This record gives sequence, structure tokens and C-alpha cells, in this order.
Amino acid sequence: MDLLYFEDFSPGEVAEYGDRMVTAEEIVEFAREFDPQPFHLDEAAARGSMAGGLRASGWHSAALMMRINCDAFFLRAASQGSPGIESIDWLRPVRPGDRLSVRRTTISARVSRSRPDIGVVEGRFELMNQNREVVMRQQGPMFIRRRPGGEARR
Amino acid sequence: MIGVYYEDHEVGQTARLGAHRFTREAILDFARRFDPQPFHLDEAAAAESIFGGLCASGWHTVSASMRLLVDGRSGQRAAAAARGEDPPPLGLGAGVRDLRWSAPVKPDDVIEFSLRIDSMRETRRPQWGLIGMRIIGVNQDGREVCAYTLMGLAARRLA
Repeated sequence: MDLLYFEDFSPGEVAEYGDRMVTAEEIVEFAREFDPQPFHLDEAAARGSMAGGLRASGWHSAALMMRINCDAFFLRAASQGSPGIESIDWLRPVRPGDRLSVRRTTISARVSRSRPDIGVVEGRFELMNQNREVVMRQQGPMFIRRRPGGEARR
Repeated sequence: MIGVYYEDHEVGQTARLGAHRFTREAILDFARRFDPQPFHLDEAAAAESIFGGLCASGWHTVSASMRLLVDGRSGQRAAAAARGEDPPPLGLGAGVRDLRWSAPVKPDDVIEFSLRIDSMRETRRPQWGLIGMRIIGVNQDGREVCAYTLMGLAARRLA
């Protein structure tokens, strides 16, 4: 498959992809390692908290979205990572049994001033559950190499 | 370290969260699960990337900092309980602002994390306040590798 380059990301484009089921076991496994708070670890303790039941760590949601993004496009894009994220909003809980998908919107795309072989693509990523409710929203830049001597292929 | 209630915080307060060593194994394990881009998995491919070598997923870096934050808070809650105080309910995180991955985290880097209270405000719910804390990670050479502002709810002391 052809690599996606900077030139393939045009402002305004929207893509939807992914269908990732989340299990209670992986919620607990991630929480044990990185975010061992009761509402991410134990259903009974979570029910008595403001979480209202077992819910994934927000960082787990972010990591799961990264994986969905990798499988859908990062691994076939000339990705060079990201300098950061402007904002993450955890809007709704991610619960065991939820099926997650992503809606990606390209906000803007420009060539890097300091690295002319790299483009900066500003994206908004919305993680959705099976009811198409947005559970997490992220916005930030991605570094993607420019196509050597070329224009958009699509 | 800072107390457990909203009112125990003050803008400008700082605290050390502790240090975390990122082993090659842990970097690869996290990348395989969540971020299998070549520069997190493969030394040769990473050498060709803008990072110049294998580095941890940024999500791994911030997740490790969360672990230190939670451990610190658990310690304070245990200390409060030992004094006979009832620790307050735990608040959830609302989001993150201005997350920067300023430099790559390489295998065996030891990152020292700290926090600084940047903002505090009341919310519509009288039992919760919203605290903005800047979490900063610095490597063994004194170079910042990541920083972000975590917006989190903290229980208020109700009179």
C-alpha cells in the first residue's frame, strides 16, 4: 500500500474508522499499571464513587485511541510523531463492553518552518462509543513527511 | 506534598512526584499494545526517524507520570486515614491542556516528575473544585521531556 504523505491530508476532510471492544480485564490491567484508582480497578468500589461504575482511565482511552489511529492510518503514513496535544477532554466514561471508533477531522495543514521536509497537520480526534456519543476529544498537531518531489496522490 | 482536599491546594504550590526509569522492555511492551509506530519498536527504523533512535510513546510517558501522581495521592490519603481523618471522595480528571512532548524519552532514561498548581476554581457542584496542575517530566540531563496541565476535580471541605 502506498504511504500517506503530508500532501494527502487536506483541511476539512473527515474520516471515521475503528471498532474496538473494551473489556473489563484490560481496563483493570491498564489501571493496575498506570492509574490505580478504585473506579478504574474494582466494580464494587466504582459504584460508590463519582464514576458510578467501573470506567477506563482517561489515559487508557487516549492509548486506545492511539492504537485505533495507528491501525487506521499512522502505520501507513509517513508519520514523524507529534510535538504535543493542545487539549484532551474526557467527556463520558468508557465502560466494559463499549465499542470504540474514531472520527478524525483535518483542521489545517502547513509545511514546517524549521524542517521543510516535514508537514504539520492539525487534527481533531473524537473517540466515540457504540451509541456515537463522543467520549473523548483531542486536538493537536502531527508531523508527517512531505512526499518527495510530489503532490497528493488521491 | 499537598493535602487531599481542594482547600489544601494553593496556586503556585509545587511537589515532587518521584522518578521513573523507562526500560527498553517497557517501552517496547507499551508500544506493541498501544502505539506500534516504527520509532517506538524498531531501533533501525528509529535511527532513520526525526528522533534519531528508539524512544517511548508519548502516551507511555504521560501514563507513567499518572502512576506517580496516583501513588503520591494514595500515600497522602493513607496518612490522613492514619490520623483518624476520613479521606474525601476521589475526583475524576476532566481533561488536559497544553501537552508537550519536548524531547524523546530513550531506553533507560530516568524521568523525574514534579507538579505545580496553576489554577483553582469552584464549579457548579458545591462539593467539587477544579484544579489545574502542571505536570513536568525532566530527564537525567536536566532536559524537559514532557509537560501537561491536568484539569482534575478535587473534593471540597464542606463546612
